Amino acid sequence: MIRYLLKRLFWMVPLVVGISLVSFLIMHLAPGDITTTEAGFNPKASEESRQKLREIYHLDEPLIVQYGLWLKRMGTLDFGTSFASHQRPVFWEKKDDQGNVTPGMIQEALPITLLINVLSLALIVVIALPLGVISAIHQNRPPDRAITVFVFVGFAVPGFWLALMLMYWLGVVNPWLPISGLHSLGYENMGMLGRLWDLGRHLAIPVFISALSGLAGISLFVRNGMLDVLHQDYITTARAKGLPENTVIYRHALRNALLPLITLLGLSIPGLIGGSVIAESLFAIPGMGKLFYDAVLMRDFPVIMGILTIGAVLTLLGNLLADLAYAWADPRVRRGVMR
Amino acid sequence: MNRALRNPLAFWGFAIIASVLVMALLAPVLAPYDPDAIDVKSILIPPSATHWMGTDGLGRDVFSRMLFGARISLLVGFVAVGIATLIGVVLGAISGYYRGWIDVVIMRMVDVMLSIPTFFLILAVIAFLTPSIWNIMIVIGLTSWMGVTRLVRAEFLSLREREFVLASATLGARDYRLIFRHLLPNSLTPVIVSSVLGVASAVLVESGLSFLGLGVQPPQASWGNILTEGKEYIQFAWWLSFFPGMAILLTVLGYNLLGEGLRDALDPRTNGKGKN
Amino acid sequence: MPVLPRTFGLPCAALLLMLSACGSSQQTTNTSTDWDHTYPPASGGTMIDAMTGEPSGLIPMIAGESAASTIASNIFNTLLKYDKNLELEGELAKSWKVSPDQKTITFTLKPGMKWADGAPLTSADVLFTWKLVTDDNTRTPYGADYKLVVKAEAPDPATFRVTYGQPYAPAMDSWAGLQVLPEHILKGQDINTTSFARKPIGSHYYQLGEWKNGERISLVRNPNATQGQARIDRLVSRFIPDPASQFLELMADNIDTMGLSPIQYARIFPAREELNRKIALYKELGNAYTYLGFNLKHKPFDDKRVRQAINYAIDKQELIDGVLLGLGEPVASPYKPGTRWTNPKLRPYAYNTEKAKALLREAGFEDHDGDGILDRDGKPLAFEILTNQNKQREMSAVLIQRRLKEVGISVNIRVLEWASFIGRFIKTGEFDAVVLGWSLSLDPDQYGIWHSSQQAPGQFNFIGYNNTKVDRLLEQGRLELNPDKRMKIYHEFAATLLEDSPVVYLFAGYGLPAIHKRVKGIDNPAPPAGIGHNSYEWYIPAPLRRTEISAQ
Repeated sequence: MIRYLLKRLFWMVPLVVGISLVSFLIMHLAPGDITTTEAGFNPKASEESRQKLREIYHLDEPLIVQYGLWLKRMGTLDFGTSFASHQRPVFWEKKDDQGNVTPGMIQEALPITLLINVLSLALIVVIALPLGVISAIHQNRPPDRAITVFVFVGFAVPGFWLALMLMYWLGVVNPWLPISGLHSLGYENMGMLGRLWDLGRHLAIPVFISALSGLAGISLFVRNGMLDVLHQDYITTARAKGLPENTVIYRHALRNALLPLITLLGLSIPGLIGGSVIAESLFAIPGMGKLFYDAVLMRDFPVIMGILTIGAVLTLLGNLLADLAYAWADPRVRRGVMR
Repeated sequence: MNRALRNPLAFWGFAIIASVLVMALLAPVLAPYDPDAIDVKSILIPPSATHWMGTDGLGRDVFSRMLFGARISLLVGFVAVGIATLIGVVLGAISGYYRGWIDVVIMRMVDVMLSIPTFFLILAVIAFLTPSIWNIMIVIGLTSWMGVTRLVRAEFLSLREREFVLASATLGARDYRLIFRHLLPNSLTPVIVSSVLGVASAVLVESGLSFLGLGVQPPQASWGNILTEGKEYIQFAWWLSFFPGMAILLTVLGYNLLGEGLRDALDPRTNGKGKN
Repeated sequence: MPVLPRTFGLPCAALLLMLSACGSSQQTTNTSTDWDHTYPPASGGTMIDAMTGEPSGLIPMIAGESAASTIASNIFNTLLKYDKNLELEGELAKSWKVSPDQKTITFTLKPGMKWADGAPLTSADVLFTWKLVTDDNTRTPYGADYKLVVKAEAPDPATFRVTYGQPYAPAMDSWAGLQVLPEHILKGQDINTTSFARKPIGSHYYQLGEWKNGERISLVRNPNATQGQARIDRLVSRFIPDPASQFLELMADNIDTMGLSPIQYARIFPAREELNRKIALYKELGNAYTYLGFNLKHKPFDDKRVRQAINYAIDKQELIDGVLLGLGEPVASPYKPGTRWTNPKLRPYAYNTEKAKALLREAGFEDHDGDGILDRDGKPLAFEILTNQNKQREMSAVLIQRRLKEVGISVNIRVLEWASFIGRFIKTGEFDAVVLGWSLSLDPDQYGIWHSSQQAPGQFNFIGYNNTKVDRLLEQGRLELNPDKRMKIYHEFAATLLEDSPVVYLFAGYGLPAIHKRVKGIDNPAPPAGIGHNSYEWYIPAPLRRTEISAQ
């Protein structure tokens, strides 16, 4: 097990380098840079000051030098400070001489996005498991068909369209839920429960929208996994032994069908960190998607590279965890039969 | 194919796609108006006998624009997935056939690409290159080949060990003959399924890019940009978001049903591996 | 109500319903409230607005974006300001005097002013701010105006004096734009990185209450305000990037104000009685105009006849009707319509395709090959219009494309995201034509935009305009401090520009703010300066306030 872990960790090194390279090169596809954004296009601004900005940010250095500076920083988890947001630290908070703490941009955005995505993933699993099982049991009969169509409709509906309708329907016509934002105005004065409740109400529509689009993948995965397992010998044996059908399905079949789900969940981690640009701008949620999109529009290099790199590294860690969980759950791997 | 269409879901999926295809091809014949004909005196008119789906913010006929927009959606889907499939098959075949260091390198590339959130990647590249329908298709293609690569590689690895392949190899068949005669044809099933599903995703990505203003260029119509125009008046000019929204929904649904039906029909094991 | 939402209420999951069920009890909206009732002024209450972007910091000279200056203008004072009729008056300055040689301006500050933290505000702070903005280490794009000052001094706490190398007419305008920062806090700090940007201390009506990153900024009344007390207690700016969401929030009464689009103003509001009962609409002179600009270094735009022909071929009224639904004005001078700098004799080019065709023929363009597109020397008259992601500009480009096709010009449109647009095409000069906007500054000096010396990459005369007469007028205008003589210069400048047609003025749209009727004391109709000029006098009568609310 330890050897397996070390081996996996070792394999991550080239991946991390590859990721840093990809993100860095993509940023330099761009001809525009920080000095050409909004502030730079005011008739009273002078060209010297723009040149000055370029020098301060090393934008005139050769690419390889810029990459070198970048790689060096990655090693120390120092992703620098944002070009566009008054020198806010990209990743983690910093303290200045007077003891003022400036929170990091990713530090603030990541938990929000993670919260939404974890909630929606939980919702997906909770709904998709029974749907998948029911589908499999009734393979190719009406319940299976209905579920398949339903989950695909969920995947196919353009999210922002549905989101706007729900916002209108549940926020304006029947003012039950907040429309956008994360916290109500009086949030500070609420008790612990009140705050949770407030947050929950703000997240209800975003989480629902995000879960709906992810339902199809997992529920079909569970369905097909179940079908696979249900045709295997040991299930036939269990049935032959006269075990009740429910026991066969939930005790024996489902458990085995769930194993590959771990890997799939591991693979969905990039989505967890990524956050949705569109949903976040629609719902005015300051998460990773919004942060990234703004950074792209502002050509805020440190933020773009920071998000791509940290996102990717966290994804690798997530995959590693998923693999370990799988190894731990599957005795064959645990004993080193499989690599 | 026949077997697949006996599955009712796949049949309906196929029917939807086929009708979208027909509408797209016959757009010039079916459209009652020039899709770009502006009429500032009839801005945002609700659906009526003269304008079946109403008019947009410049008084253009939404129905005609929907028909021509279907072409964009289909084009984006097919070309983007075509590119992804091509890259995926080539890399997957190399990886699975030759194995060794090249396999390691390609698989690491796949891992790197998979660990970067794809939509972020597409967004950055589209924003930096100038947005155009071709750039969109190329970028979607270049960022979604990883699934196919893995599929093809897995198929190759298992097929290589099969008797008929081993037999021809022993008989001295060349690499390309092995690859093109034996391995490739036998590993196409999952590739087709995943391509059909990929088209569905590509259509959604295009509408997302349109939402962010990075879609096709005006005055060209796409479902994504009609829908995006409609979002601001969703409670007022509902027709502007309803029709493109439904069109996207049905088309994506169609591809998914077709893809899933094909998988069920073509793959007797009905296993769930090779999702993308 | 359209039938649509009903169909889509269906996929409401149990969770959604559960979370929403209890929410309804908190609603305080009283449908019978008469929002039009008049009340006497009273102080208190909260006004909530929405912004699409979050400021990067609240030091406007560093931040630069409009979100920052909007919020900072409630926190910091300037020496001078524009009144409701766009005339200059003192803000921190009680009075000012220009020396006979017109090179020196002496400002006398109002007595007894304080910063929000109680420290005295003196001319030393003004001098400090001037030093900051002209310091080469300060990363500000706004230094150019102030660097023309050769000597700045603060001989006593109430006097601030600046001396220019030669008379500089735009000087007054520039002193209405520099927000004064506190020396006692910022001294010795690096202005580029200081945390002051996130917790500023100012002297104006409001001070920062709370800044919740990515969500909102709350300003609360400043008890030490130099200009007296504002009536509304608290201003909250929520960051809502999507205008569609903003409008939903406005309809649901979660924000009090937003800028409307023409469709919202002219189509949605008239159709919705319940919105008009609680929300008032205003119409202000716009502060920007939209234009079609040519790359004058590219053929055939070097030919005045071609430019004029295109000007004649574009129907400006159609643009105003189609893009703005009539909510805008045609423009013939690059100044705010109705202000003194606008030359009242000028009229936009009338829509006249015959004239356009005749001019093009004169320039040698005819349809020789019969493909419907004019050509000269075998080359078709075709070009590409670039614009950035702005709905109105995009629509304008589409309308222009159609009109130009009618006279035989083939136009292609490309919409780009801002950074690529500037970096890749404007700075490199690789474009044929652009649809863009210029803001209408209150000082008439437009040296940076039109003078032939301002064509280097990244400067603002990117269309490459070069006209000796215009150059001369712009130079004169900067030196002339007499308003009447100055007006004459700029009227002539505008006339020359219009005749030469280096750009086609398309329109100046109105600003269309919507404000909830609970906010009283707003000038209607809006004066030239817009409704915001007396926002400190606005008030929210106690019965109309949100029950401050669920907060208790």
